[in-house]
Amino acid sequence: MASLQLKKVIKDFGPTRVIRSVDLDVHDGEFVVFVGPSGCGKSTLLRMICGLEDISSGELTIDGVRANDTRAADRGLSMVFQSYALYPHMSVYQNMAFGLENTGIAKDVVRTKVDAAAKLLRLDPLLERKPTQLSGGQRQRVAIGRSIVREPKIFLFDEPLSNLDAELRVSMRGEITGLHRRLGATMIYVTHDQVEAMTMADKIVVLRAGSIEQVGSPLELYNSPNNKFVAGFIGSPQMNFAPVTAGHGDNIVTEYGETFELKTATKPASGTALTLGVRPEHLTLEKREGSLALPITITGVEQLGGHSLLYGTLSGANASADGPRITAQVAGQVTTKIGETATVYAPPEACRLFEASGEERAVR
Amino acid sequence: MKTLNFLTRTRNGRSLDWTDWLSYAYLVMGLFLMFGPVLWLVMSSFKTESALNEFPPSFLPYGQKSIAVPGEEKMKPVYRVKMPDGTTKELAELRRIGLTATLIDPARPDDLIRVNVKDREPVREFKLATENYTDLGGQIKFGTYLWNSVFITVIATILTLLFNSMAAFALSKYKFSGRSAVFLLILGTLMVPPAIVLVPNFLVISELGLLNSLWGVIWPAIATPTGVFLLRQYMLTIPDELLEAARMDNASEWQIYWRIVLPLAAPALAVLAIFSVMWRWNDFLWPLIVLSKNEKFTLQLALNAFQGDLVTQWNYLLAMTVITLLPITIVFAFLQKYITQGIASAGVK
Repeated sequence: MASLQLKKVIKDFGPTRVIRSVDLDVHDGEFVVFVGPSGCGKSTLLRMICGLEDISSGELTIDGVRANDTRAADRGLSMVFQSYALYPHMSVYQNMAFGLENTGIAKDVVRTKVDAAAKLLRLDPLLERKPTQLSGGQRQRVAIGRSIVREPKIFLFDEPLSNLDAELRVSMRGEITGLHRRLGATMIYVTHDQVEAMTMADKIVVLRAGSIEQVGSPLELYNSPNNKFVAGFIGSPQMNFAPVTAGHGDNIVTEYGETFELKTATKPASGTALTLGVRPEHLTLEKREGSLALPITITGVEQLGGHSLLYGTLSGANASADGPRITAQVAGQVTTKIGETATVYAPPEACRLFEASGEERAVR
Repeated sequence: MKTLNFLTRTRNGRSLDWTDWLSYAYLVMGLFLMFGPVLWLVMSSFKTESALNEFPPSFLPYGQKSIAVPGEEKMKPVYRVKMPDGTTKELAELRRIGLTATLIDPARPDDLIRVNVKDREPVREFKLATENYTDLGGQIKFGTYLWNSVFITVIATILTLLFNSMAAFALSKYKFSGRSAVFLLILGTLMVPPAIVLVPNFLVISELGLLNSLWGVIWPAIATPTGVFLLRQYMLTIPDELLEAARMDNASEWQIYWRIVLPLAAPALAVLAIFSVMWRWNDFLWPLIVLSKNEKFTLQLALNAFQGDLVTQWNYLLAMTVITLLPITIVFAFLQKYITQGIASAGVK
């Protein structure tokens, strides 16, 4: 059980800066998920926390104590690797006991601790097997068991589910969150899968190119993303974006000339290029008073029974053929065919606006 | 049954294709070329000294039949004698003086028969001259030589594995400046012919006072570029995450090396162990230079010493050669699984 702070943490690999001044507070007992596209530095950040990579500058404190120069083993953290990193020549029991044996704990104490962890993870019948004789899910549980026995202050997970098939991933997701509840431990979890982030996290940290884009609870990120990147990254299917320009007052003008009123706090100057964002699940086929109409040419239909996904390109008076792509998730089943035109409606309360240049910050 | 199936495999699974004839002919020729001399050696090692000098030579070890004659201490050789009356009899020869041989019929020991040596020929039978082997201990200090060879081979192999694997571990798993330079330097020594470093090596060993010491043979041999290269390439395939996991598991660098990397590099270690055993056991030139005292000789040196200036006791020499071949054969038989494993895992991955 512990808290962790990162203060202006930077990592350079030679001339390349991969982590750009990260500040982060992880509170005791929190489940924090680092999420971002591949190459965003999330794994590097995790490895810096656990001590497998040096911190170029900045400060890492665990429970308020500076830990920059503490050896990986002495930081009191444990890590579950993407490839599980089980020692292939050791049995499950030996794998789990290895860390304890190295600290010079008495054999019978090791036995009790390993047995307890094995019981917790339902590994007791597998203790004498070698890792190669286990399935993916079992290996994953051994890897988790290996970190549990050491009773670490903080659990670190580096994309632990990416090697599992979809079904197993869902059930392991439940197991890890269940474990978090039972142990009440602080956990930091790295993934590139925003669904994992949304379902597991108390707090999501969205990273891009070595900097934190936004930190918040899953719903905070979903409902009020800081910028276009976070808006696009969180949520599935991805948020729809269409270029618009600011008009007089609170008005915005769409590409095809329709004027629409959206209240903003900052009131961008008339003529500023903006990006309109609206989530697929907020689009409807029924016209409602005050909704923004988006005419689209259907390029694909996916009927999922309970709901349907309509893929299309934004059409309209002067829209080009390869206009912005629009995805609409509508309830129930549809009769729309490919090639037809349809109009989807976006309620104003679901519409977001972003700057079209620079950091693409949210203006609404 | 499995072996038989394997040995009679054909290309299409039914009749013999011409390619089958060709490959079997090639294989049989290979077998003959490789195994023929060894088989000849083993057979010859069971021949008596006189049988070895026979011409034409026989494949199987034949010896002259000998029987016990009452009143004589030694066994007497048996001859087939053409009697003056035209019959032939098998008689034991007591002695021979000039052209006259004195023979005796074991059934009637009182009658001495004298015949011309031309009228008798030796009776031969299949006989293994096991005394070639059993006498070795008495003839020469075989035990000492064997011990010297075994000591050098075992100790040098253990040290080779230890030192080479430590070097390979550092070169494959640690990042430090000059790493590739060091590695290239080690590999570069492969290009230096051994004959060139012979004299410098000798001077070093001599200065260290290791002449006529088994350690003088062991120390220069343990650091091998081949071994470092072989192990390094294999260790590169061990995922770094395992080492990182061990580091998180509070393992010291020595424990990582000893408990994680070494067991996982076992196939490559086995290959190197086989090489090392073969190198050290068959080594001749370097021990010849370092060891000059008879009681420090290895088996290979003893074999050489056996070929005297005037006389060579071929029967003992051959028996000893067979014995020196045995350890290599045994090592290979037990570790060949690891050889293929090592090659497969190093080649495929």
